[in-house]
Formats: sequence, structure tokens, C-alpha cells
Amino acid sequence: MSQGLAGYVIRRLLWTVPVIVAISILVFLLLRLAPQDPIDSLLGQRYDEEIAQRLRAKYGYDRPLHIQYLKYVQNLFQGDLGVSTKHGDFSVAEVIIPKIRVSAGMGIMAIILVFGLGIPVGVYAALVRGSFLDPLIIGFWLLIDSIPVFVSAVVAPWLFALQLGWVDLTYEGVLHPNIILPVFVMSLPGVAGVARLMRASVIQVSNEEYVRTARAKGLRERTVVVSHVVRNALLPMITAIGLSLPGLFAGSLFVELLFGIPGIARESLQAVLGFDFDVVLGLVLFGSVLFVLANILIDIAYGFIDPRIRITAARGG
Amino acid sequence: MSNRTLGLMMGAVALLIVAVAVVFVLVLSGGDGDDGGDTPARPASDSADRDDAADDRDAASDERDEPDDGDRTTGGICGENRLVTFGDDPATVFDPIQVGDASTAEYTAEIFGGLVTLNLDLEVVPDIAERWEITDGGRVYTFFLRNDVVFHNGRRVTAEDVKYSLERAADPANFSPTVLDYLGDIVGVRDKFNGRADDISGVQVVDEYTLRIELTEPISYFLQQLTYTVAYVVDREQIEDDPNNWTRRPNGTGPFRVKTFRPLEEIVLIPNDRYHLGPPRVDEVVFSLSGGSLSTRFQNDEIHVALVPAVELAGVLSGESELSEFYRPVPQLSFFYLGFNVNEPPFDDPLVRQAFAHAINREAINEVLFFDAALVADGILPPTLPGYSEAISTYPYDPERAAELLAQSRYADDMPRIVLTFSGGGGDPPDNLQAYQQQWREALGVEVEIEAIEWSAYLRELRRGTFQMYSAGWIADYPDPENFLGKLFSGSSRLNHTGYASERVDALLDEAATLGDQEARYRLYHEAEQIIIDDAPIIPTFWTISHYLVRECVQNWVDPGTIVPKYRYIEIDTSGE
Repeated sequence: MSQGLAGYVIRRLLWTVPVIVAISILVFLLLRLAPQDPIDSLLGQRYDEEIAQRLRAKYGYDRPLHIQYLKYVQNLFQGDLGVSTKHGDFSVAEVIIPKIRVSAGMGIMAIILVFGLGIPVGVYAALVRGSFLDPLIIGFWLLIDSIPVFVSAVVAPWLFALQLGWVDLTYEGVLHPNIILPVFVMSLPGVAGVARLMRASVIQVSNEEYVRTARAKGLRERTVVVSHVVRNALLPMITAIGLSLPGLFAGSLFVELLFGIPGIARESLQAVLGFDFDVVLGLVLFGSVLFVLANILIDIAYGFIDPRIRITAARGG
Repeated sequence: MSNRTLGLMMGAVALLIVAVAVVFVLVLSGGDGDDGGDTPARPASDSADRDDAADDRDAASDERDEPDDGDRTTGGICGENRLVTFGDDPATVFDPIQVGDASTAEYTAEIFGGLVTLNLDLEVVPDIAERWEITDGGRVYTFFLRNDVVFHNGRRVTAEDVKYSLERAADPANFSPTVLDYLGDIVGVRDKFNGRADDISGVQVVDEYTLRIELTEPISYFLQQLTYTVAYVVDREQIEDDPNNWTRRPNGTGPFRVKTFRPLEEIVLIPNDRYHLGPPRVDEVVFSLSGGSLSTRFQNDEIHVALVPAVELAGVLSGESELSEFYRPVPQLSFFYLGFNVNEPPFDDPLVRQAFAHAINREAINEVLFFDAALVADGILPPTLPGYSEAISTYPYDPERAAELLAQSRYADDMPRIVLTFSGGGGDPPDNLQAYQQQWREALGVEVEIEAIEWSAYLRELRRGTFQMYSAGWIADYPDPENFLGKLFSGSSRLNHTGYASERVDALLDEAATLGDQEARYRLYHEAEQIIIDDAPIIPTFWTISHYLVRECVQNWVDPGTIVPKYRYIEIDTSGE
């Protein structure tokens, strides 16, 4: 059985290679065929044909496309993602790794916040269903959910920094308390979804026979809820957490822009606007690998939960 | 298996919940610490990870923590002797010869220095050179260097360092985009740049502290050009030791050193205490590159300098906003204009160009769209530029005259399709362009199409001269009329994108370029400027004003409108007055 799983995982991993190669070729071509030119951006009004040619030669843009691509792949295998033209010859890794750290740090806090709030809210809403509290609680979180981030990211600083004076706004690193506000702004809209999922899950589990059995054998209600209902209702949350993992590194553009956080989303925007070839490629490749890996992880997790998927995959895959 | 897996999952979820609790506690306790309002905005202990090199600030700010224990108004951003301002992400490394954009130039000017520099009044003053003599009818400059100038690492600067720096700038292997524009008038720079010579023949070391520079033409604005970054002195030893990474912590001669540089995050400069023109008075200058809501941070007392956001401008100008007391308008050495391709129909007929100029009402646009916060450009040279003249005038708004001129033109009955191109993204064109469009339609009955094009493509097409009509701007590289009139309108300048060529203007520009008498020189430029405006290869539209917010505790804050080392003058009044 475990061998079947290992084979499945290996097959899935092998499949990622052509996917990543295809993505990289596509993005590479899109960038190179666009009517823009990083050297043009770099030199601006001082453009001089001779200097431009020297720079193109320096970055290898003067060679045929397929040679450029092969060179890129060759460097990639040596762990070299290229250099940023916009950030003055900083290596791509040097540019994007700090940004990934920032966005991932915030993403982890956001996931913890979303599930940490959403799960108890959902459980509570399920337990009080039928009373006015249930729609009130879920409605409240839906209300929060329906405020666009670009609104809350403007209103929240005004309220919590200027009016209440609770927080400061300057970005001082992921571990500085100033990060609280942006993290809340990017997480709170997600709570409603988790809460509703958890609520539905709890209600479903509550109708299971083993819950009735637990009650019938005279366990205290508290024990029934905590040990039997909630424990089992948490299962779908695993998938939800898994699904949210790739997004963890994606950052939140509005939050990063409006709070001035040097994260991956802002870097991506800057790289695209500044036409920074290698940085854009590096970011896309990073995102693709992450996305593919997360999907594999989710599939494996499903396999654990539902053996039917595993068997079909092993047979067909 | 399912039991074990289930257990694992339960464990994972439990861990998650514990983590939530821990983070909550951390977050809340951290937040409480911030609530008191008696801690400085950036407690030294929080920046442990950034203080890899210099700890002097921590020590210094610890001492200063004591008097900060008052209320927030006297503490906050004004409680520490450091300036927190904003900046743009540098477009290149801190290598003076690679700098082509204003934001990188601003940092570079603080880190490095050259033979001469500009003071806050935009006058050329000594830097590494103590004095200079101009001989041979303005063709030979002999610079006498100070003997107390040192690089940040303490090494003394000699004439050899200056020669090395200039030759490095002209070295074809370094492809400096600016060397020909600023130093191309030195004998031998072009030969070196084109690989025909190993050194610059026009730069000679006379002795340890004397340098002789020979020019091909006795140009009068050479010293102004020498103030630009490409002429700054760099440390040969450092560059040869670490050719790829020396720009991370460049060893310059300027008033500041780089403490940290994080792209898109911040640049921190610390003083060069041995700076020969007087060391900086602040302990640190922080440029926040993060963008974000600068004005909110300003209001929250977290940053000393910010720009007035567009939505607040009306309120700030009228004095109704609480930000009004911090407002500082600063005229910039720049102007916006509409350029014509004077070789393509219909703008090859000057009457059409003049009609277009008469037809736009810039005063109304300023009032309605810009809250009267811009300056209608009544000329090309901005008012704060040395050599500006009030006597110059542009085409006043006169729709009848505009219609008359158009009727007299070759294209009165047969107007071709007209496209106005600007550099920008999707969405609507800028309001002022739409306003011009409307005014041309009303006054002339001409329908102008507006087209957006991406910046690098815009620049490329500008060079190729394919635009019929375009919206553009120009920022001074050095404060001299030549930088506007010579660069944009001389028949031989590669930055002349209109195709305009006037023998009279070229003659005036050539004469002015080499004239020693400054006043007479300016008069020639004024004459050329008025001819250019009358010929209308461009319509000057607005001079720019930057709308700053500056905290009251920042002393000696100025923006001279161009790249001038200026942060060493700044003092922070920490007394809380």
C-alpha cells in the first residue's frame, strides 16, 4: 500500500517537470516578445544605441531567443536565477528571497488568524443554530468579508493609528508589532469562509450516529462536543488549510502597497512594470513550483482521507 | 492506519491552535507595549537584525530615551536626532557613472563628491577642489585640491584619484550612459569612450593636489556639468578589490555613508564624521522606499517629510486641513510641455502649432484640475533656474486668434488625423490632456486623438521621432539654461525630438555656450528662448511644484529643485518646542 503511494507521489513529482518547463518557456517567450525592452527602461531618455548594444550584450539579450532560454535554464541548474536589471545587478535570489520571507511570514500569521478565529466561530455558530445568534455571528463575519481590502487598508490605519493611536504604520519587519494591522486587514475577510465551512461540518457530524451513541452512553455534552463532534468536524479543515498554502506566499497586493510592506506582491508588480526579465521569470517559476507542490500535497492528503482517490490515481496515473 | 493518520491530523490541528494562542498573546502583549505612547517610534531593541554593522545609533538612542518619557507630541519622530524621509527605489546601483535617474542621483550625491558641488542656492562651490583657475580663454581648468579630503575609509584623495575616476567613467567597458553628455567636452573623453585611447589626454595630474583639465570648446557651463554624479570621485582600491559588489557600501568622499540598503524597503545613510565641508548634524537619514500611505504615516508622527496626497491638496492649500501648517510648496527645476513633430503634417506649418498654443486655457486647467497648485509656464526656463527671465512670454489663451491662425494655415480645409501620445497605462488619459483635447475641439474644431504608450516604448518612439504630437517633461540635470534650451532645441542635440532646427537659435546657443560673461550669456539664452517659443516646436504648459509636508522640528530642510547634497545641513530640533 505504501509502495503504491510512493509510486504515485513520484509519478506526480515527475509530472511537475514538464509543467514547470512549459510554464518557463511560455513566460520567457511572453516577456521577450513583448514590445518592451529592459534596456530601454534602464537608459530612459539617455538612450544611446551604442551603450544599449553593450548592455544588451552584457545581459545576453542580443542572442537568439532559444540560446537565451537554454542559457537561462543552464544557469538555473547552477542555482543562478539571473540578475535584476532594475535593482542594479542584485541577483534575483537576493531580490526575491527577502520578499518571500516577508510575505510568507505575514501569510503564516494570516492563516493562523483565519483558522484560529474561523474554527471557534464556526463551532459556536453550529452549537447555537436555531437561535438568533447563529445568523448574527455568521452575518457579522460575512459583513467583514464583504469589505474590500483596498477599503479596509485605508480605513483601518485612519481608525487605529490616527484616531485611536493604538498602532504605528511604519513597516519595521515581520516580527515588529506594527505588522498586526496589515495582518488583520488581510486575514479578517477570510474568517467568514472558514467559519461557515466549520459550521456546516459540525452540523453534519452532529447528525452522525456515533454522536448519538456518545450521547446515549451518557457522556457529558461538553465531552460529546469536544471529543466527538469537533474532532471529526475538523477533518475538512485539513483540506482548507492545504488549499490556502500557496496563497500564503502570494502576498496581498493592496495590503503591501498601502502599508508599504516589501513583500512578494509589490515586488512582482514592480518587476513587471520595470520590465525586469529575470525577476519576473524567477517569481513566476517560484509561484508555479509552489502551486504544483501544494496540489500534490493536497492530493496526497485526500489520498489519506479517501482511499478511493488513491486507488484510482494509482491505477490510472 | 486511519486511526494513526487521524491522530496525526488532530495533532497538527492542535498544534495550530496552540500556535494561534501563542501568537495572540505575543501580538497582544507587543501591542500593549506600543500603546503607552512613551516609547520612541523605533525602539532600538527591535532593530537587532538590522544593526549588523554599526551599533553607535543604538547606543546613542539609548541615551536619548530618557527625555522621551513625556507625552507623544514631544517624543515621537521629533524625539530622535534622525531624519526619516521618503525616497524612490534607486534605478541603478550606487555607482556615480551609472546613475541616470533623479532618485538614484539624490542618494549618490550624498555618498560621493566631485571637484565641485552645488550649494543650496544652486551656485557652483568648491568640494574636493579648493579653488580653480580658468586659462586659455576658458579652455583649460586647473583645479587645486584640498589636502584634507579623505574617503570614508580614511584614505586621502589625490589628483590621481580624480583622474582615475574620470577615466573610469569614460572607459567603454563601463558603458556609462551619461559620460558623453556631461564630460564629452573634455579633450580625449570621446576617444577613450570609443576605444581609441587608453587614457583621457585632456586630464593631467600636475602634482599630488593639482589637476589640469583641457576642454575641446571653452564651454561656460563646464563647472555645472562637473557637479553631476558622473564626475564624482570613486575609490580605485575598493573597486579593484570587489568589482561586482563595491556599490553595496561605496567608499566615497561625500557627507554620508551607506549603512543599509534594502530594495523597496529602505536606505539608511550615516554621517561621514570627517567630511571636509562640515559633517552632517543628524545621526542618520532614513529614506523609506516603501511607498504606502506616506501622508497617514506623516499624520501619525512616523515620518518627517511626505508629499501632500492629491485628495488632500485642496484642503491643505486652503488652510482647512490640519496638515496645512506643515505645507511647503517647492518649485522644481522642471517643466511640462506638448511637443510637435515639426516635419510631419499638420505641424510642419508653424501656424497650426501657434493655433494649438493659443487654443488652450492653461489658467483654467490650473484652477480647475490642479487647485491652482501648479505654475502656468510662461516660458521654458523655470523661475528658480539661474538665468530665468520674466520678460519671456508664451501664447496667451485666445480662441479667436487661434481659429484665425488655423484658417490661414495650409491645413485649414484639410486637417489630417492628429494623435497626441503620452506615456502611461490603461484607463482614461490624464485630465489635463483631456482638457486640451476639449479646448482644441471647441476653439479649432479639430479632433485630437489621445493615445497611451508604455514608457520604454514611448522613449524609443520619441527617439525615432514617430510621434505627431506628444506630452513630455524635462527635469534639469544641472542648473543652467543650456540644459534646457541646448539639450531640447539645438539642431544637433540627440535629445531634440521635435525635429526643430533654427539657424538663428543654433547660432545663439553656440555663442552662449562659450561666453564667459554670465549676464551677457543669459541674454543670449533669453533671445533664443523667445524665438523657440514663437516658432512653437513645443507648447510649454506647466512648471512643476512639489507639495511637501515637513514636520516643524526639521530645521534647514530645503529642496533646491535639483540634485544637490542637502541632508548634511539638516538638524532635528529634539527639544520638543
